[in-house]
Amino acid sequence: MSGASPNTGGSTERLLEVKDLTVGFPTRDGIVRGVDRLTLNVGSHERLGVVGESGSGKSVMGLAILGMVLPPGRIMGGSVRWRGEDVLDPAVAGRVRGREIAMIFQDPMVSLNPLKTVGSQLRELLKRRVGLQGPAIRRRSLELLDMVGIANAGERLRAYAYELSGGMRQRVMIATALACEPTLVIADEPTTGLDVTIQDQILALLHDLSTELGMSVLMITHDLGVVAQFCDRVQVMYAGRIVERAPINEMFADPQHPYSLGLLHSVPRVDRDDGELTGIPGEPLDRARFPPGCAFEPRCSEARGGCRDAPPPLLKTADRRWVACYNRPAEGSA
Amino acid sequence: MLRWLARRIIAAALVVFVVTSLVFVVTHVFTDPATVSLPLEASEEHRAQRRAALGIDRPLGVQYWDFVSGLVVGDLGESFWQNQPASKLVLERLPATLKLVAGATAVTVLLAAPMGMLAAWWERRFPDHAVLGFSMASISAPPFWIGYLLIIVFAVQLGWVPTFGSRGFASLILPSFAIGLASAGRLAQMTRRGIVEELRKPYAVTALSRGFSRSYTIVHHTFRNVASGFVTMTGWELTRMFTGYTVVIEVVFAWPGVGRLAVQAIEGRDLILVQAAVVVLATLVVVTNLLVDIARRMIDPRVELA
Repeated sequence: MSGASPNTGGSTERLLEVKDLTVGFPTRDGIVRGVDRLTLNVGSHERLGVVGESGSGKSVMGLAILGMVLPPGRIMGGSVRWRGEDVLDPAVAGRVRGREIAMIFQDPMVSLNPLKTVGSQLRELLKRRVGLQGPAIRRRSLELLDMVGIANAGERLRAYAYELSGGMRQRVMIATALACEPTLVIADEPTTGLDVTIQDQILALLHDLSTELGMSVLMITHDLGVVAQFCDRVQVMYAGRIVERAPINEMFADPQHPYSLGLLHSVPRVDRDDGELTGIPGEPLDRARFPPGCAFEPRCSEARGGCRDAPPPLLKTADRRWVACYNRPAEGSA
Repeated sequence: MLRWLARRIIAAALVVFVVTSLVFVVTHVFTDPATVSLPLEASEEHRAQRRAALGIDRPLGVQYWDFVSGLVVGDLGESFWQNQPASKLVLERLPATLKLVAGATAVTVLLAAPMGMLAAWWERRFPDHAVLGFSMASISAPPFWIGYLLIIVFAVQLGWVPTFGSRGFASLILPSFAIGLASAGRLAQMTRRGIVEELRKPYAVTALSRGFSRSYTIVHHTFRNVASGFVTMTGWELTRMFTGYTVVIEVVFAWPGVGRLAVQAIEGRDLILVQAAVVVLATLVVVTNLLVDIARRMIDPRVELA
């Protein structure tokens, strides 16, 4: 399970195109933008990581890509296109959700229906979303559980979520995601809350399945280790905005945005002796008091006067590298 | 499961025993059936005679023993208003009351579940407000008033159903609605709130993200998860019906049930009969609670077998 796979974006078919997606939540202090003019693309056979701290809007983003926002939030602008079709159109969303794009959620304990057996949750998907009938449903259910590495599949079909271990639950969650043979899987912190060894197993399982089944994966995580192990490309998110986008190896070798730099320095590395860990100074942003300029400016050591005026656009700085920072010259501009 | 059930039944029987003992205390310690049955100006001699006739001149302990041992074999004493065994009088009226409560429960459940789901589906839209309006109105209006209103409109003006009595299915409709509307109002609001909350939970979000429609998710995912609360609340509504609504509504509709019998017994100063009616109604409440527990256990496998 190494960083880059043979297919690394760019040259492959574009599946998902998100442009300027903005999700707002009304609060007493005005509208808070959970996701702010988000742009991302996922190609076929690609594993893209979106990394950011809690509250950076990653989970909101994952649901918004499917046109879903928990009330009272709403999508305020931008577009989401799946193979050219507008996912924000409810009719298209109804087709795409589950069947083309399937989500895997953070906490499988509460993301599986507590009152339905594993079998009945698979059955309703296979029956209603895939259109299987009769004995084919059971056969496919067993096959799916087998694919995600669950032994005694026949017995597990009768189990409720609360009767399974955390890792087992996440495997079931993955099986339900695979039920409709999606082309893209959005995995929102799929390993958070699991034991470290189980985390590795789940990650390896997802990696193998995506290779075998030719699925793309959008991995949403706060964990740079997960990104390093899993993804071909990564986007760093801060306060609802993308601040940097790069191929995985380049991001780790040469992070450009001050926030990415800070993130990398706050992760312990076993392969290098960097001396002390340094955190990022300051607090995560109070989203209600959004600065008019760069959201990272209050915590940034390189901040200059101009950073406070307007948010920096995400600009291309080199081949396949994009950064949103006034202190990084765009390609060809300097 | 069986052991759990046996324990629950024994506990229920104990509750019935305690409740009936309390009834005995009220009817024999604080007052006595003889005094109540006689006019205030009755002579002391007359009272003593009546006491002896009813056997309540004996020590309380002996009377209590009689009461309890009678209870075990279903003997609740003799009604002196009707000169018949009280238990026979009550049990004759019981089917009518059960029919009425069944009708009212049907109205409650069949109105509350769809209305709650509809309101949740159209959260903060017109149907939601309409259901809320209905609930507020039905909860605020006293059942007897709803009863009279229904009689005036549907029985007197439109002539669709009989005004009173219990002749066939048609006569069951109005009293069932008179009792069930308020219960449906409360239950609809509880259902709506429950579903709206459940819809924000990760498992519902997961279902929606798999492409299931909002209506499918409400009916097949969230409603199951509020069903346990729904059944519990329905049990409470049944309790209210047995202990209050049926009494009032049976009088309004001249329905020949246990509630109306109790009122007649009170008017006839027949304490033995009142006592018998209370014992039977209390038993129904306890049985209801037992059934609710069993139902919850069947809906939610996580309910502790305690």
